[in-house]
Amino acid sequence: MFLDFRKGSRVRVLAVFLFVCVALIIARLFQIQIIDHRKYVAMGESEYVKRLTIPAKRGMIYAMDSGDPVPLVINETIFTLFLDPQVVTKPAKVEEVIKKVAGGNVKASISEALKDNASRYKVVATELTRKQAELIKKEKLAGVGFQETTRRVYPENTLAGQILGFVNSEGEGQYGVEGALNKQLKGVDGRLESVTDIGQVPLTIGAKNVNQPAKNGENVVLTIDRNVQLEAERALKAGLDRISSRATGSVVVMDPQNGKVMAMANWPTYNPADYNKVTNIELFKNPVLQDPYEPGSVIKTFIMSTGLDTGVVTPETTYRNTDSITIGDRTIHNAYKGLLGNITMQTVLNYSLNTGAVTIAEKLGDGSIDLKARETMYGYYHDRFGFGKYTGIELPEENRDLVPPDTPNGAAITYSNMTFGQGMNITMIQALSGFSSAVNGGAYYAPTVVNGAMKDGKFKPRTDIKPKNANVLKPETSATLRGMLVAARNTLYASHNEPGYIVGGKTGTSETLVNGSYTQSSTVASYLGFGGNGTPKYVIMVRVQSDGMNLEGGIHAEPIFSEISNWLLKYLNVPKE
Amino acid sequence: MQKYSNTTNFCARRSSGYSRNTNTVRFKPEVKLGPVTHTVFVALLITVLGLIYLTQAAKITGYDYESEKIDKEIARLTEQKEDIEVENARLTALSTVSGSDVAKDMVKPATVGYTGQ
Repeated sequence: MFLDFRKGSRVRVLAVFLFVCVALIIARLFQIQIIDHRKYVAMGESEYVKRLTIPAKRGMIYAMDSGDPVPLVINETIFTLFLDPQVVTKPAKVEEVIKKVAGGNVKASISEALKDNASRYKVVATELTRKQAELIKKEKLAGVGFQETTRRVYPENTLAGQILGFVNSEGEGQYGVEGALNKQLKGVDGRLESVTDIGQVPLTIGAKNVNQPAKNGENVVLTIDRNVQLEAERALKAGLDRISSRATGSVVVMDPQNGKVMAMANWPTYNPADYNKVTNIELFKNPVLQDPYEPGSVIKTFIMSTGLDTGVVTPETTYRNTDSITIGDRTIHNAYKGLLGNITMQTVLNYSLNTGAVTIAEKLGDGSIDLKARETMYGYYHDRFGFGKYTGIELPEENRDLVPPDTPNGAAITYSNMTFGQGMNITMIQALSGFSSAVNGGAYYAPTVVNGAMKDGKFKPRTDIKPKNANVLKPETSATLRGMLVAARNTLYASHNEPGYIVGGKTGTSETLVNGSYTQSSTVASYLGFGGNGTPKYVIMVRVQSDGMNLEGGIHAEPIFSEISNWLLKYLNVPKE
Repeated sequence: MQKYSNTTNFCARRSSGYSRNTNTVRFKPEVKLGPVTHTVFVALLITVLGLIYLTQAAKITGYDYESEKIDKEIARLTEQKEDIEVENARLTALSTVSGSDVAKDMVKPATVGYTGQ
C-alpha cells in the first residue's frame, strides 16, 4: 500500500516529521543498546548486583595456664556513633538517649554537633559496646548512625606486651607475635557478588553469583604460661625497684627439654591496647632478642662445656692462678682476687675466674689461643650453641652477632675475651637456648613461643618439636656441667634455694663500652641458671642494667632468679630429689 | 526336470482390503493447522515454559529469604558468643582475679609445712 500524499500537504509534512522522529528514536536506541551497551549493563549491575568483601576475623592469641589455653588477645566488636544533623528530627530526644546510654563513651558535645547543619557526619561517641548500640538503635532515632569495627582486646593488660605486639589502624600486625605471625593470624578475606533484591538480600538467581567465604585467621596458642609470665614480670619489677627507678631489665624462662619459652618479661613495657599513646618507639622492641650485649661471665659455662666436651679439662683439672694472664699485649685480670696457686676448674666456675677461662681456651689450642683453639671455640659457640645465628624464634627482628675466628679482629685477644663473655655480642635468647642444650643432656632445641593452635574450641598442640642438633655435648659432659653449676651456685647462694631441689647457675657482670673503652662504672648484671630435680625443669636468664651504675650479677640479678626459681618449683609441682 | 508351483498364495491386507466383506476406514483430519497457528502454539509453549521457570525462580528466591534469616540468626548468635567470650576473658583475667574481694581478703600463712613427696 502506498499513500500518495500531495506534495507540500500537511499530511506529508506530518509523515516526514514522524519518520524523522522514528529515525531519531532508532538512532538513540542503537546508541544505548549497541554502542553504550557495556556502560548501561554496568549501571544496571551496580543497582542490583551487590559486591561485598567479607572480612576475615583475625585469629585470637592464647597463653597457657597450668596446661590449658586461656585467651590473651581477643577480638571485640565496637561501634562508633555518628549524627547527620540534617536528618535529625528530635534533637532533644537524641541528646538525652545518647547521654543516658553512651555515658562515658561520648567524645564530643552532642548539642554542638546537632547545630552543625553544614556537616552530615559528626562522630559523638566511640567504642560503644553492642549492648549500648542496640539500646540506642531501639529508639529508632532519625539521623543517628553507627559504624561497626573490631578491636583487639587484651584482658591481661600489659602482660607479655612485647611478646604480643599490636595491630595497627590498617589491621596489620606489628612487632611481637602479631607482627611475626601476621599472615597466619590475619586470614584471607572472602568475596560476595550476588544479585540482590531491593532490601539488599542476596538471591540465588544470577549466572555470575560468587560466594567465596572468608578464611578466618588461625587461633595461635603460645608457649607462654600466663602465671609464669606474671611472676617473672612481678619479680623483675621488684628487683629493678630495689636497684633504681631508672633500672631496666629482662627475664626469660624456658623449658630446656623442648625449647618452649614459658615467660619473657621486660621492663619497661607497654600496654598493646594503648600502643598509639607510646611516645618512645624503643618500647615496642623486645630486648631479649633484639638487643645483643656482651654477656659477661655467664659465658664461662660455655667455655667450660667446650673444655669438658673436648676432654682438655675436668672439674678437677688445675692451673696456676696468679690473678692475671697476659695474651699478646693485653693483661687480663680476675675480678675476684686472692685465690692464688693451683686452682681447680670447679673453683674457676665457683669464683668466676677469668684467668681460668682463658686457660681453658689455651688448652684447646697448642698451649695458646692459636687458630686451632679459635676454630674449636667457634665450632662450639657458633655451630653448636648457636651464637651468631638466628635462633628461629617466632618473633620479629631477631639479632645475631659473633666474630669469626679467622678475621684479623678475631685473633687471640678477642677470643680470650670471649671466654668470659666480653668482645662478643649475643642476645639473651641465644644465650638461654645454648644453655638449655648444655644442661639438658646435649640437645639444642630452637626456642619457640608457638605451642599449637585452637581449632573448633580444642587445643591442637604442635607435634613437630625436635632437637635441631641432638649432639651439642656428650650426655656425660652435660651431667658434669650440671654438677659444676650446682656447686658454683651453692658456693655463694645455697641459702637462696628451696631445700630438696637441684638448682645451679652462673653469675655474669659485664663492662659496657663507653666512648670505645670498657668501663666498670656502668655494668650489666646477669644470672643464668636451671632448676629441677634429676632433670632440669626450667632454665632462667636474668639481665639488669641501669645507666651509670655498677651492677653485679650476684647482687642484682641473682635474687630475681632465686625468686622465680623457688616459685616455679612449687608452681610446676616438681617432686623433690 | 520336475517343476514345482506355489500352492499357497500370499495376499497382502492392503490388497485384500479391497476385497469383499472387508471394512476399511481412512482418517482424514477435518481441521488443518496453518503456519500462523503453529507459530501461536510454539509461542504459547514458550510462555508456559517461561511461567514454569518464573514459578521455580520465585520459589528458590523464597528459600533465599529463609536462608538470609537463618544467616542473620547465626551471625547474631555468633556475635553474642563472642561478646560473652570477651566478658569471660575479662572476668577471669589474672588482674581481675587478684583484685577481687575474695583475693583481697586472703592472708599469707605464717608458716608452711610440706609433707614428704
